[in-house]
Amino acid sequence: MTDILSVRDLGVSAMIGGTPVPVIRGLSFDLPVGKILGLVGESGAGKSMVGRAIAQLLPPGFAISSGACLFEGADLVRMAAEARRALLGREIAFIPQSPQTALNPLLTVGQQFDEQLRHAGAASRRERRERALAMLAAVHLSDPEQLLRKYPHQLSGGMCQRVLIAMAFSSNPRLVVADEPTTALDVTIQVRILHLIAEMQQRFQTALIFITHDLRLASRICDEIMVMYAGSPVEIGPGRDVFSAPAHPYTRCLELADPATAHGQRALFLLPEQMPGLLALARMSGCHFAPRCPNVADACRNTRPVLTSVREGHSAACLRLSATSDITTAEVRAGSAVVSSEKPLLRVEGLSKRYAAMGGMFLGRSEVTAVRNVDFSIAENEFVALVGESGSGKSTIAKLLVGLEQPSSGRIVIDGRDAAGPSRQAHALRIATMQMIFQDPQSALNPRRRIASIVTQAMEAGSRHVSAEDRVQRTRELLVEVGMSPELATRYPPQLSGGQRQRVNIARALGARARLLIADEIVSGLDVSVQAQLLNLLFRLRAELGFAMLFISHDLSVVRYLCGRVLTMYRGEIVEQGKTVEVFANPQHPYTRTLLAAVPPADAAVAWTALDAAP
Amino acid sequence: MGTLNRCLRSGRVMVGLGMILIVLVCALFAPFLAPSDPNEQDLLSILLPPAWMAGGDSAFPLGTDSLGRDELSRLIYGARTAMTVAVVASLGAMAIGSILAHLAGYFGGVVDWIIGRVVDVWMSFPPVILSLILMVGLGTGLDKVILAIILVDWTRFCRVLRSEVLVVRQRDYVAAARLIGFSHWRTITREVFPATLPLLITLVSLEMGIAVVVEAILSFVGLGVGANQPAWGQMIADARQHIYDSAGGLFFPILAIFLAVTGFNLLGDGLRRTLDVRLINAREQ
Repeated sequence: MTDILSVRDLGVSAMIGGTPVPVIRGLSFDLPVGKILGLVGESGAGKSMVGRAIAQLLPPGFAISSGACLFEGADLVRMAAEARRALLGREIAFIPQSPQTALNPLLTVGQQFDEQLRHAGAASRRERRERALAMLAAVHLSDPEQLLRKYPHQLSGGMCQRVLIAMAFSSNPRLVVADEPTTALDVTIQVRILHLIAEMQQRFQTALIFITHDLRLASRICDEIMVMYAGSPVEIGPGRDVFSAPAHPYTRCLELADPATAHGQRALFLLPEQMPGLLALARMSGCHFAPRCPNVADACRNTRPVLTSVREGHSAACLRLSATSDITTAEVRAGSAVVSSEKPLLRVEGLSKRYAAMGGMFLGRSEVTAVRNVDFSIAENEFVALVGESGSGKSTIAKLLVGLEQPSSGRIVIDGRDAAGPSRQAHALRIATMQMIFQDPQSALNPRRRIASIVTQAMEAGSRHVSAEDRVQRTRELLVEVGMSPELATRYPPQLSGGQRQRVNIARALGARARLLIADEIVSGLDVSVQAQLLNLLFRLRAELGFAMLFISHDLSVVRYLCGRVLTMYRGEIVEQGKTVEVFANPQHPYTRTLLAAVPPADAAVAWTALDAAP
Repeated sequence: MGTLNRCLRSGRVMVGLGMILIVLVCALFAPFLAPSDPNEQDLLSILLPPAWMAGGDSAFPLGTDSLGRDELSRLIYGARTAMTVAVVASLGAMAIGSILAHLAGYFGGVVDWIIGRVVDVWMSFPPVILSLILMVGLGTGLDKVILAIILVDWTRFCRVLRSEVLVVRQRDYVAAARLIGFSHWRTITREVFPATLPLLITLVSLEMGIAVVVEAILSFVGLGVGANQPAWGQMIADARQHIYDSAGGLFFPILAIFLAVTGFNLLGDGLRRTLDVRLINAREQ
């Protein structure tokens, strides 16, 4: 079998303060015809940089410092720019992460497709048009004729991604690089797009590089997986083996931090701290994973391990490979001892929200119903999940509960008192009981306030003067509670990592002494190790302080791990609710079944039927 | 994060500040700097050229006007008028404009609609004509000039700031502040206002330049400050009648206006570049 792409000892460095600092070190792999290679790692691992290095599209200040990328024997690094341009977009194609921003909003799909095909060398206008129609049909988009005349904003995210996949494969490329192609999409769409990429890859016998942060997902579709940590490959092996029998401690930790593998009983593995910065890594003489590794020995701090074979076609870079399988976590998950009482803290009855839709002057008013006749309740100390795809009305419910939107009809009852409506009493009751934790901590934290000022913001709200000492004291308490160093109190939010910002977000809600947290997708978009830290933190805080939570999420593995009860939303209605264990074991509504099927199973022996059967 | 430091390293800010400082020192210390009383007439030595030119008198370094008043002294006292108007009028316009902008952007809905329509109607009058009409109604005087500029130019602040408030309003931290129990007033002053402040500072700086020009225009047509108060516009109006006999009288007040306005514009542009978070991020990436 011949290799389409051979990367040899690739190194990329970034200029920081005038000196080059390595970002990627010693990366080597071979990608044969028609195979899929998964590049897996957390944010900052350098996996996207590999795709950019192949395309020679490194951000300013970054440069390839060593090595070669041999594409069918020709080195992309040393090739003349002219020759490389001829290859890119024709022989080598890319599928980007965010489909909607990758298409030009001012041009129709047809114009952009035509442009792509002209670059790929299709001669006549008719030929290009026919090719475009054929490709759009191949990615299962109905009515391609119509589609060519549409603008990107008229398509959903999933449709945009299908168009981009069709464009990527339209030139019969030899190699396709897909950078997190499904991360921005709904879970049910995700599985279809994955199926489509695999199908197209099979049909055209293309070699594919699949970049993702999701090891479980990668193990399902990749022939080979390379796990990266801090810019270096730490493990490379067959897709299934790397996930089910990891050889490197880091891969093992990732597997144990994945809530899907916990089956609701085991505590998640907590990787301490976070990946060191580039400068700290450059100064480190031993194994880069040593500061966080549970198996670290003295030798690890001085000697840098090289990739060594563990079995046929599977190797890992670790000095103590034999000890990897010893890494385990406690059988009982933290905080599971809390028993929810039967008295409901919050009761929602017949809640509806309608928006007036834009209509013509003479067409009369039409209405869009975002939430229709929703009933549910949450008991003290209970974690309830609200799942559903984007646009199903999950976030609208959150806004209605906290009062950012006013319900069109229905009741919200807290402790037996009415908490709906704009009245002063209802507002005060909501504020005293509920706090919202927003999805995007970057937007939820005022960049001009110090951390101390944010977490104690609730103390500013009242008319009573609060002394500076009280605030310092409370800041310390809250930061310790959410597992942050009190030294961070004087920092500003942009100086923190994503996980730390989300902790500050939680600390602010706790600082208001909320009894019910409304958490809107608070762990999505975070790395699996950071996610595990936050999930365990929520359990611990519930055991210590006691609070209930409405946990809005699309990630069913997280929901299964965290929440005792689950509500499934579909098109503004709650179509199924019950104990998580029961609903997941025996889903009644077809939509719940679709959602569950879209999750890649944790057990490597279980087939992922949705991927094989997806339309 | 060293905002002050960034400002001090910016060439535009420093040059702009330098130019304004020259005018400001003249304004503050006019009685000490001016060689003679700006209103003292010497009818025996009218329309004298500057001292270094033929026919000049060393008692009048920049010459005299048609009533024999000392050009240099009038220029220095004129700075006083210009700077008073620039500072007070732009702060006043800022106060009205930014308060209404924050109300409109924050509350939206009916409030936004009403304020938006008022601004629309207001802005459809040509600004110079509007201020002339106001001056006719109010009468001349320094305080009237300031009032006229405030009443004309608050819309500029209102319009620009409102869109900035709308952007900040979308931020989750503003909603979070409300949910944590902040009153509307507290949310605006503690969460929204600090985010719009950089733009506000920039706008004030640019508005000061505009105020200097407007004051000069009003004085030029004789509807500005009173006749016994020296102003650059008056000097230009006076020199215009004798433009063929002595061009110097026209040159120096125009140079003074140029200095002040360029200074404010450079400062405003420099501040915009150093205070705008988006530009800073783009540069650092």
